[in-house]
Amino acid sequence: MIFNSIRWRVQAWHGLILFFVLLAFGFTAYHVARDNQLRRIDEELQERLAMSFHMPPPDRGPHGPPQGGRPGGEERPGKPGFRMDPEHFREELSKALQRAASSEAGQISSHYSIMWECEGKVLARSTNAPADVPMPRRAETYSPQAEGDNSPAAPRKSANPFGSFRTRGEFRELFGFTPFGDCFLVGHSMAPDLAAMRRLALWLAAAGSTVLVLGLAGGWWVASRAIRPIEDISATALKIFGGDLSQRINAADTDSELGRLAAVLNATFARLEAAFAHQSRFTSDASHELRTPVSVILTQTQTALSRQRSENEYREALEACQRAATRMRRLTESLLELARLDAGEERMKRERFDLSRIARECVELVRPLAVERGLQLECDLPEVECVGDPERIAQVATNLLSNAIHFNREHGQIRIATQADNGTVLLSVSDTGVGIPNEDLPHIFERFYRVDKSRSRIHGRTGLGLAITKAIVDAHSGTVEVSSQAGQGSRFTVKLPSK
Amino acid sequence: MRVLVVEDEPDLLGSLLKALREDDYAVDGAPDGEEGLYKAQVNEYDAVILDIMLPGIDGWELLRRLRKTKKTPVLMLTARDAIRDRVRGLDTGADDYLVKPFDVDELLARVRALIRRSANQPSARLEIRDVVIDTAARTVSRAGEEIILTAREYALVEFLALHRGKLVTRTMLYEHLFDEDDNTLSNLLDVHVSNIRKKLGHDFIVTRRGHGYCIEGLP
Repeated sequence: MIFNSIRWRVQAWHGLILFFVLLAFGFTAYHVARDNQLRRIDEELQERLAMSFHMPPPDRGPHGPPQGGRPGGEERPGKPGFRMDPEHFREELSKALQRAASSEAGQISSHYSIMWECEGKVLARSTNAPADVPMPRRAETYSPQAEGDNSPAAPRKSANPFGSFRTRGEFRELFGFTPFGDCFLVGHSMAPDLAAMRRLALWLAAAGSTVLVLGLAGGWWVASRAIRPIEDISATALKIFGGDLSQRINAADTDSELGRLAAVLNATFARLEAAFAHQSRFTSDASHELRTPVSVILTQTQTALSRQRSENEYREALEACQRAATRMRRLTESLLELARLDAGEERMKRERFDLSRIARECVELVRPLAVERGLQLECDLPEVECVGDPERIAQVATNLLSNAIHFNREHGQIRIATQADNGTVLLSVSDTGVGIPNEDLPHIFERFYRVDKSRSRIHGRTGLGLAITKAIVDAHSGTVEVSSQAGQGSRFTVKLPSK
Repeated sequence: MRVLVVEDEPDLLGSLLKALREDDYAVDGAPDGEEGLYKAQVNEYDAVILDIMLPGIDGWELLRRLRKTKKTPVLMLTARDAIRDRVRGLDTGADDYLVKPFDVDELLARVRALIRRSANQPSARLEIRDVVIDTAARTVSRAGEEIILTAREYALVEFLALHRGKLVTRTMLYEHLFDEDDNTLSNLLDVHVSNIRKKLGHDFIVTRRGHGYCIEGLP
């Protein structure tokens, strides 16, 4: 489970890579150090031997002297006596070896020397030479992998003028053979050097571990920081899932990838919240609108039934119930119609018709209402062709006209006009009513939005008329606009495509 | 008991007034906020039933303004049942809350409870010596026997009992027992008191001459 976490996976990879890098580095460092140390020891051995012969240090490199094991190896120093007299040579060599193994200024020497004659008999040995030094075999000088010497330094033995190097336990030895078959050897105990190498290895391991731990800690910190926005996002999303739509992701750095993601998500959440708020307000408004008539029916019936009533009282109660039920019917019809329009289920017909004819029919439909309120109806209806659903457009016109009648002043005027305008047709309805305050204008097409919070209720209006009007016009790809001057009246303009 | 109903839906207002009147309340109605506020400020009501969505001044505003001068218990009626609205109503100073559509019986019970609570009489049964007044059933009994009272008499007994131990002036009685359409003659009050004394004992109501009436506070 835990390894499914991104943070853990990042951490694991990071740790693994760091571990191998450190391992490779430590290994290399250790080997470079060991090579250097071995080279230093070898050079010292050579130098000592050379010095003891009063020879200059061997010239090293590709153009160096020939292979050390060759009998002619010692010819170059140029001591002609060597070749003449084996006994003298042996003696000189023994002395030289003694010098090579000797210490400076009274220190116990870490160098030793041994000389064998070709049969293996020890001719001379320094006092500090270990007892069990085996005589090198001649073959060893030819074998690049001499016994006990598998160090990278082994191939270098070919590059020195005296002979070969070998590592025997904690000893490093330089040996060679004289032209007379005698074997000489200078050795050096590497114990302090090996201890130093062990200390280096330990130190490398300790440093490596520290760096690894620091790296892991740093990696954890970085991973945590990188993951934190994701955790914020997930926590916020969880809260939103839990129902608190007002939650937002706290996106401090808006420039990072996650910051941009957070911004996008926040915008999405905001839209969701707005949509939910809209939906819940609509539901709450709808239930509110339905509750009042239900209350009327309940109280009327409960009161009427609580005791014996006269026929007249029953009649009054029933009439009140009927009024409430009528209102509920109107409301539910409007709600259903809006729901169908929202869902796009109401297919708008696309037929060509004369808008002025529809407008005139609607005017005749509402004329009795206007006359009742003493309103004057003015028509300016030149013939204009438009495309759409004539029944629906008639509904729009009737809605607007009935609003104009409803919100007009006594003996006011209503003017309805059609007009063709550059590929569109306009239907406008203006009244001389109280007008709509500026702050209400943007909301006038919202469902259940009312300028006067309850005036319309008394007159049995649903508060959905303009919302339905707008939904129908929208379904025709048209627009509906309103302009109003307080105290002067309002003017609704519907713009429909003419093709 | 006198109750004011502020409700803009005429059919609802009508049936509420009727139901309350039939429960022997003196009831006034107001169809909008302005009139409701005016009546609530001018008259002494035992309870106000207040709709929130009102033309003119809405229920919140009415309550806010009323609370500056009066402590009259207010029961809010609303079609909105969001908790936010309820909390707001109670915080603005409403004493109770009822969501539309409601049950008339529940409304009446809540009004009774409101009136009792505001008189510091949380129980529906009031006992004064051997007289027991059941404000829920609207009955009075003396030594276990039910005493038949007229609606006016009962209202008078209930009002005095709710204010037991306190002096109740004749003005208070007029204000709380008669609605604005009542043109009762003032000496009618004495007739009612005299009738109650005949039924519940002469000492039940004490007359404080020149001030008013009182029911003893101690059982």
